[in-house]
Amino acid sequence: MAADYVSPFDERVRAAEPLAPRPAGVAGRRVVLLDIRKNRGAEFLDRVEALLTAGGAATARVTKEIFSKPAALGLIDEIASGGGLVVEALAD
Amino acid sequence: MEPAWRADGDGGLGGGPAPELDVHATGTAAVTLAGLTAGGCALLVFVSEHCPTSALALRRLGPLCAAWAHAGLTAIAIFEDPLDVAIRTARRLGWTGQVAAQEPPYPASRAYRLATVPTAVLVGRDGLVAGAVAGWDRRAVAGLLGEAAARLGAGLPVPPEEGPLTKPGCSSKAAIDPDLVAAMSDGGGDDLEEMFERGWTDGLPVIPPTAERVAAMLDGRDGGESLGLVPPAMGEATLARVAACAVLAGCRPAYFPVVAAAARAVLDPAFNLHGQAVTTQPAGQLVVVNGPVREAIGLNSGMGALGPGFRANLTIGRAVRLLVSLTGGAMPGAMDRATLGQMGKLGFCVAEDEEGSPWEPLHVERGFAAGRSVVTVIGSDAPLSISDHRSRTPEDLAYVLAWAAASAWSTNWWPLAEPSVYVICPEHAQMFRAAGWTKQRLREFMFDAVRKPARLLLRGETTPAVHAADPGTLVPKWASPEAIVLLVAGGEAGRYSAVLGPCTGMGSRIVSREVESRGG
Repeated sequence: MAADYVSPFDERVRAAEPLAPRPAGVAGRRVVLLDIRKNRGAEFLDRVEALLTAGGAATARVTKEIFSKPAALGLIDEIASGGGLVVEALAD
Repeated sequence: MEPAWRADGDGGLGGGPAPELDVHATGTAAVTLAGLTAGGCALLVFVSEHCPTSALALRRLGPLCAAWAHAGLTAIAIFEDPLDVAIRTARRLGWTGQVAAQEPPYPASRAYRLATVPTAVLVGRDGLVAGAVAGWDRRAVAGLLGEAAARLGAGLPVPPEEGPLTKPGCSSKAAIDPDLVAAMSDGGGDDLEEMFERGWTDGLPVIPPTAERVAAMLDGRDGGESLGLVPPAMGEATLARVAACAVLAGCRPAYFPVVAAAARAVLDPAFNLHGQAVTTQPAGQLVVVNGPVREAIGLNSGMGALGPGFRANLTIGRAVRLLVSLTGGAMPGAMDRATLGQMGKLGFCVAEDEEGSPWEPLHVERGFAAGRSVVTVIGSDAPLSISDHRSRTPEDLAYVLAWAAASAWSTNWWPLAEPSVYVICPEHAQMFRAAGWTKQRLREFMFDAVRKPARLLLRGETTPAVHAADPGTLVPKWASPEAIVLLVAGGEAGRYSAVLGPCTGMGSRIVSREVESRGG
């Protein structure tokens, strides 16, 4: 008989979240750009935004409260409802 | 069902269909042969963490994976170990391909009829086995890569001609008789080693959390009670899991109320454990204990207060860290992304020497009654020792102590909003006592003492505040006197205090929780 241990892990199986379909292009799409407030993330998004705009996308900028905490649920809802695509600027 | 080929020989087998892989990996998508061969071919490298030949194969092949992937050959290391062990081992050995794991009874290894690890199996886009090599045989592996290159129509780098060119492999765990494996895990094996197999460790040996030990730790408490979700993986901190971590850490049941209070404290959103757990900073969770529980459970606040030798100090801090890394999933090298880390991340629990202190203890400062037992958690860096045997005035001593923190976090990063924690030794504390200095007076003197003109803080990493300041403006090291936390602990002889720098940029606040008292 195997030893009866109490696991320190949360053994619940989490269903894998499938990736959303990748877009064929950005022209005519609305792209949300998420600045997590890491150093120089805004500069990165400026460059990405220029490229997206040149490619015919409409953009919207949103910002997290602080980079080190998960985004607020309200912000996630705003992103999910406000645009079909999202680009997130991570660490510098 | 017999497979069309066997991988237990000397390679050169193949032609039959490759069995589908029953493994799990880090990504959300399932690992499939179709996915692995989508680029052209797949190289399945079956390995085991305990096998030196597997380590050799991973070390020799690992650096080549990126170039292979570019040419259409996807390499995946399939471990006969838990996934977290697989990830750590692959990273340590420089494996840059994909990583997958399988648990007993090792279905993927069984499907491929492995006798030996490492075994490298080449699978073509047609789903057929194109060849296999058991053990380490540099020439045979190069031949296997030659076959892949021919199929891909592209050159593939091969491992260098370094010795050993051949090395026998180890027995695949799947090749051991299942009854024997079961017998080994039924007490015939080494239960301490099993903890490593399960990944229930911080790298040091642990105490197996048997149901009996966890029940003793809980001492009648409801193990199903939830203290909340532990970031970053958001595992639920049931009291039973907290108790399991306390057992693993080596705690006595008498320590558990302190561990549980510390767990409640670190899970307070104001502490932002999420940020601390995953940061590249060397962020530890310092646990400070005040009140009568210190003496009741044998916490050391005297000689060597920040060092080894005392079970309560070492295991309480360790239990908290195990909760973060196991239940919370913040294992170093995985979701814990600390660049260097620090030894305080094994666990760091300090008891304050309230009796030897000239001041009100930390928990009283934070609003608790003096007679209550309280745990306070602070995100912090490693301690820096400060020697001062020569100061003869409280002003000189306070100046020396304060300037020791001038480089906390970074040399020119002024001011710091987050707390620097000073552990003042009794001889230093006595000088302030004799001069009648209150804790607040010392804090304000230190705050005022450490200032520099902005022009001297412009080199390298510095703050927006320094950039914005007039060059002659005096910038303080701390944003306010309250960013200086003062504790008293240590042996009666020797004038060594210490300062622990902060965990910065997290918006982390200091959090305190009262320790449960069953006796009232």
